[in-house]
Amino acid sequence: MTFIHPLALLGLAFAAIPALLHLLQRRVPPELDFPAVRYLSAAERESARRLKLRHLLLLILRTALTIVIVLAAARPLVRVRGGGAHEPTALVVILDNSPSSGAVVNGRLVLDRLRVEAHSSISRTTSADRVWLMLADGVLRGGTRDALLASVDSVTPGWQRLDIVQAVERASRLVNAQPSPGREVHVLSDLQRTALVPGRADVPRGVRVLALEPGRAVPNRGIAAVHVTEGAAVIELAGSTAGAVTTEPVPVTIRIGGERGERGERGERGERDRGEIAARGLATPGDRADSGLSGWVVTVSLPAQSLAPGWWVGEAALEPDELRADDRRRFAWRVATPARVTATPEAGGFVAAALEVLREAHRVADGTGRDVVITGGESPTGTRSILQPPSDPALVGQANRGLVSRGVSWHWSLSGSPGPIVAPQVSIIDGVQVTRRYRLEGTGAGDTLATVNGEPWLIRSGTLVLLGSRLDTAWTALPAAPGFVPFVDALVNRLVRGEADVTMAEGAPRVEFRLRGADTVGATVFGPDPRESDLTPASASVAIAALGGEERAEVLNDSAFASEGFSGTRRADISGLLLGLALLLAFTELGVATRTR
Amino acid sequence: MVSRLDLLDPAEVARLGGIEIVAEGVVEGFLAGLHRSPFRGFSLEFTEHRAYQAGDELRYLDWRILGRSDRLFVKQFEEETNLRSMILVDASRSMAWRGSPERLTKRAYADRLGAALALILLRQRDATGLVTFDERVRQVIPARVKAGQWTRIVRGLLDTPDGQGTAAHAALQRLTALLARRGMVVLISDLLFDRDLALAALRYLRHRGHQVVVFHLMDPAEVELEGPPEVRFRDPESALSVVVRPRELARAYADTVRREIAAWRTACRRHGIAYHHVQTDMPFGMALRLLTT
Repeated sequence: MTFIHPLALLGLAFAAIPALLHLLQRRVPPELDFPAVRYLSAAERESARRLKLRHLLLLILRTALTIVIVLAAARPLVRVRGGGAHEPTALVVILDNSPSSGAVVNGRLVLDRLRVEAHSSISRTTSADRVWLMLADGVLRGGTRDALLASVDSVTPGWQRLDIVQAVERASRLVNAQPSPGREVHVLSDLQRTALVPGRADVPRGVRVLALEPGRAVPNRGIAAVHVTEGAAVIELAGSTAGAVTTEPVPVTIRIGGERGERGERGERGERDRGEIAARGLATPGDRADSGLSGWVVTVSLPAQSLAPGWWVGEAALEPDELRADDRRRFAWRVATPARVTATPEAGGFVAAALEVLREAHRVADGTGRDVVITGGESPTGTRSILQPPSDPALVGQANRGLVSRGVSWHWSLSGSPGPIVAPQVSIIDGVQVTRRYRLEGTGAGDTLATVNGEPWLIRSGTLVLLGSRLDTAWTALPAAPGFVPFVDALVNRLVRGEADVTMAEGAPRVEFRLRGADTVGATVFGPDPRESDLTPASASVAIAALGGEERAEVLNDSAFASEGFSGTRRADISGLLLGLALLLAFTELGVATRTR
Repeated sequence: MVSRLDLLDPAEVARLGGIEIVAEGVVEGFLAGLHRSPFRGFSLEFTEHRAYQAGDELRYLDWRILGRSDRLFVKQFEEETNLRSMILVDASRSMAWRGSPERLTKRAYADRLGAALALILLRQRDATGLVTFDERVRQVIPARVKAGQWTRIVRGLLDTPDGQGTAAHAALQRLTALLARRGMVVLISDLLFDRDLALAALRYLRHRGHQVVVFHLMDPAEVELEGPPEVRFRDPESALSVVVRPRELARAYADTVRREIAAWRTACRRHGIAYHHVQTDMPFGMALRLLTT
């Protein structure tokens, strides 16, 4: 309860007046002769109990009357659930238009329901309120009420995932910085459990977070990722089955979207759209067959022989379900001509053996000329080279001079300590032990592709790739590892050519290619975050905990959400009610005081 | 305009002069308003006959003469002096109180009422006496009918000062010794004493054959309690005091007074005693008329 005129509460001291008057009047009553005292005494004896009760009642009534009048003068404002006007409020409406809001539940778009509530929240604001709108992109949009309402009306399901915990934290900090008496954050979201990451939003005291209760869970499956490796597309599924455990295979269709030539232009212009169904497959449960679809994988072979060298774009598709946004996902891969590789005798036997295997698998081409040379210290000119340190330490200096003569700023230095390989970009050798190595030192530009003990171990500089160790079991366990041949394949066909992996990013479905000069060196495939496929809503307790805890956050159904909005600051002046009560008390006092007169 | 003193406000009448003047004026007015003596037939004896005239009461026809001579004669009566009346006036301290300066004290009212009553009785040639008392008997004037008796009674009233306490039963016991023949006893008092003791004495008088009349005097302020919001009321006789809020105790007090009056009336009626409640703002004529009812 707050008061418009709190100083008037000083008048509560007047509440003691009836009691004081009562005491003072009893001290010195005037004295009069009255012969019929015997009648008075008899009357008083008969009425003593009634009079005491009456005195007490009158004292209470008069004290209460004084208190009520003083309170009315102070103009108290009390919280009310419905009706009344709210105090100026800083409000952020978080409207979750992430891809999952495009799901259809009970024949209605989830976003439509959220949009109605957002519209209602903003409509109830007044000119004294400050309002912002936050969509899944995380941008806080201020503006007039009409402008924000127009924004709400034009919102469509987007492609960005909303981290609700972070969004609530940002919104809370914003409203908490406002001088308004009321501070509220309205969360209008499907409250996916995947959107409420472990943790708890730090909501300042005084900020109320009201979240709309999510609708019922619906089953959904989507394509989480597509990787092309070794001529096959590996398709991972994601989603939820609304609690039911399913083991039925899921059909997946692969379409080849288009070809991008070696000298292709930016973007997707120039893609040759074949639009044909390349392959079909059935996704089956992986190791973790639970109620969700995590771990469901299907590998579909691509018709590599019929595809010309270059960058290709494809699309994997599932049968349509409640959420269409994740039913298709694009992917890109490069069909490359096998490199012509030559290994010098100094390259060692393990390298030669690996190349033989690759040659048999047509990953390395035969023929005259050479695209890539693998050496053991020498620095051939005019070609792409993969250089190992020389086996004889005495030749390290000569090898370094060769590097200098080629303009390479890197060189082999002193021996380094043993350790495991750390190679995020070449995951097949990640963790393999190195027992002997030279430190790679240099100041020029170059890509560090792998490290040992934090020091560069695999460097790409221009057309050279330098190794800190020889590919020999005396130096490293790599030649005996299963990933050795794929590593050599990656070295000669990808790493030495400077090509990056195909990466994935969140956004509207598309493929963007990265260029280096006139060459296309990589691609980024955009699509929805795989976590959006799981439409399972978080439980109320989980949501409340994530949104600030029970003291700050509430999860409410539609009607409660409408009534609770602004209720934290909704006040009504009850001075009129108190004056009515005072009038009632006064009449009661009058009745009690005059009844026995 | 009212010209009869017996019907005027007692306080206004009292301002006209002393007790004698007031009493005479009241009695004159009172008797003028009556068609006949209020005590006719009570103490009268036959004197002569006269011829019957239309309008004479048939009960006074002499049936013997009618039987013998077939003529109508009515009996004529003469007032007799053998009735003895004693007027008892309470002169206790409580009688000296009045609730308003505009009214007579109960004692002043009692003196004037007693004097008027004595004058009426003496004019009827009844022997009339006076006893005044408080905690003891103050004045005793034996019942006589001789000239100057009324003056002595008035003097006795005037010579009796306001007393302290009240002992009505003692005065009444003393009275039994003074009234050898049956007669009438009129007690004028505020009855603020022990009811049982007083009733015992009155019952004794009644048992001796006396006609007993009680005038219960009360000031209007004793009937309807009034006063400041809170007040300490003190009994002038006993110094007993009590703190009350008149407004909130008024109803209970009025109930108590009504019960007390009813108790006196019931007790008196049970023993053949005439009881009359008189407030000091009642005109004297109305109080005297109570005797005729």
